[in-house]
Amino acid sequence: MSVSRRRVGSGTRSGGDGVVAKVLPPVIVGALFFGGWEAFVDWQHVREFILPKPSEIWKQLFDNFGLVRSASVVTGTNALVGLILGTILGALLAATANRYRAFGELLNPLTITIAAIPAVVIVSVLNNMYSVTTQTGRRVMVTLAVFFIVFVQVARGLRQNHPTQLELMRSYAASPREILRKVRIPNAVGYLFTGIRTAAPIAVIIALVSEYFGGTQDGLGQRIASNFSLSKTAFAFAYVVGGSIVGLLFFAGSNLLEYVAVPWRRRRYSR
Amino acid sequence: MSAVEVAQVSKVFNLGTADQVDALVDIDLTVEQGEFVSLIGPSGCGKSTLLRLIADLIEPTSGTVLMNAKPAHQARLDQDYGMAFQQSGLFEWRNVQKNIELPLELKGWDKPTRRARSLEMLELVKLGQFAKHMPWQLSGGMQQRVAIARSLAANPPLLLMDEPFGALDEMTREHMQTELLRIRKETGTTIIFVTHSIPEAVYLSDRVVVMSPRPGRITAVVDVVLGSDRTEDTREDEQFYDRITEVREALRGAEMGSAPLGIEDR
Ligand SMILES: Nc1ncnc2c1ncn2[C@@H]1O[C@H](COP(=O)(O)OP(=O)(O)O)[C@@H](O)[C@H]1O
Ligand SMILES: [Mg+2]
Repeated sequence: MSVSRRRVGSGTRSGGDGVVAKVLPPVIVGALFFGGWEAFVDWQHVREFILPKPSEIWKQLFDNFGLVRSASVVTGTNALVGLILGTILGALLAATANRYRAFGELLNPLTITIAAIPAVVIVSVLNNMYSVTTQTGRRVMVTLAVFFIVFVQVARGLRQNHPTQLELMRSYAASPREILRKVRIPNAVGYLFTGIRTAAPIAVIIALVSEYFGGTQDGLGQRIASNFSLSKTAFAFAYVVGGSIVGLLFFAGSNLLEYVAVPWRRRRYSR
Repeated sequence: MSAVEVAQVSKVFNLGTADQVDALVDIDLTVEQGEFVSLIGPSGCGKSTLLRLIADLIEPTSGTVLMNAKPAHQARLDQDYGMAFQQSGLFEWRNVQKNIELPLELKGWDKPTRRARSLEMLELVKLGQFAKHMPWQLSGGMQQRVAIARSLAANPPLLLMDEPFGALDEMTREHMQTELLRIRKETGTTIIFVTHSIPEAVYLSDRVVVMSPRPGRITAVVDVVLGSDRTEDTREDEQFYDRITEVREALRGAEMGSAPLGIEDR
């Protein structure tokens, strides 16, 4: 807790000239990376179905923009639906488990068991349960993964308060109800948004991967897999780019959400 | 009527188990109204335990604790004391002002009164412009000041402090000590202050209570006759050094000839 590390009003520090300093390095690194990749493929005469050039991927993306976009929307929607449902479910069950001890003790081993089952098994079972022409199995899969992360975070937030804060509340002769309202719940809200931020990129990955185990053909995961197997590698990479953009959107969105919803955690952003 | 009266208090943790700890044995301590008393002793001698017993955060195994002739339990329910710890314990989702208002909320004060009082307290600790800041935007010393403002918000007659400046750097720490003396003078609060720094105890206190470990007990009480007008100059006073020596020797005596462990000599 050194004094020098913390500054008053440091939240506004990174404006102005800082923007150039922050944006320039990744731009340079990106340019070098793609330039190097292009040059390497040319120089080594790597065949296109093994490793296409960035320019070729860009061309494929440009020519098939509508296809990539609609596949991204399908996968992104699955991820978003699962993220929302999993968050609601995780927060509600963690709150219930905190309220009723017996329920919590029942729930904990259950969540751990579900988390331990390999995703492949769950998706296959779900695909059999729901018709392969729906997205339900995939969404349930994402929901489960998100649920687990959010459940653990919120449960932790409700339980683990700073000991000094709890001693203070006791010195104020606060009732358990007041402690819940004024300490445990606000603390858990902070953890909830951290949970959402952690779960968001994972939701996208699970949504993508869950498409590998059958079901409809319209998502990014399916398109990537089938185009790779047809050796249409550059086309597959165009879909990978779509996946990256969806992932970035989820990452940025969930960080923004945390920044707005729990301002007291902004320290993370003000280095 | 004494501000605090600790009589024949003992505290045993984990009584009857393999990890039984005799944290405190036969403690008698009386603190008068308006007095500043420090508890000093090596780590693990039961300073925090004694403070928490007075605050009724834990219960004594035997003996009684009275606060203004009131049992400690009742005193806690009536919020008759304020408390500050080494960790500021600020609620990070509340801004500075709302942190100071929390004990008042729990006491059922209405909003305008709370608001006025918290701003008054912020002026007292010289953080008037920081009402709307979030805790993470403040330095460690400023956070500790907010914690002190909060502990005094309900205007309690007694303030219990457990190494409140222990995590601060030396410069900030000395500054905070002088500030605390000023606040004490302005509010007339009785203060019990835990520390393991000898100069800190001497500079702040009317009396320094010296404790020894295993089992925790009071081995000496040093009267610090430095007067009530202490300034930064007091730190260079010959009297000041004499009292430091006296406390140091009392601590040595407590350790039976060996150098006291875990005591800051600076
Ligand atoms: N809750 C507890 N359970 C068991 N032992 C404890 C507990 N709190 C303190 N102790 C023990 O009591 C002794 C005194 O502790 P403490 O009052 O924290 O010392 P100090 O504040 O002087 O460093 C130590 O030996 C410590 O390990
Ligand atoms: Mg202690």
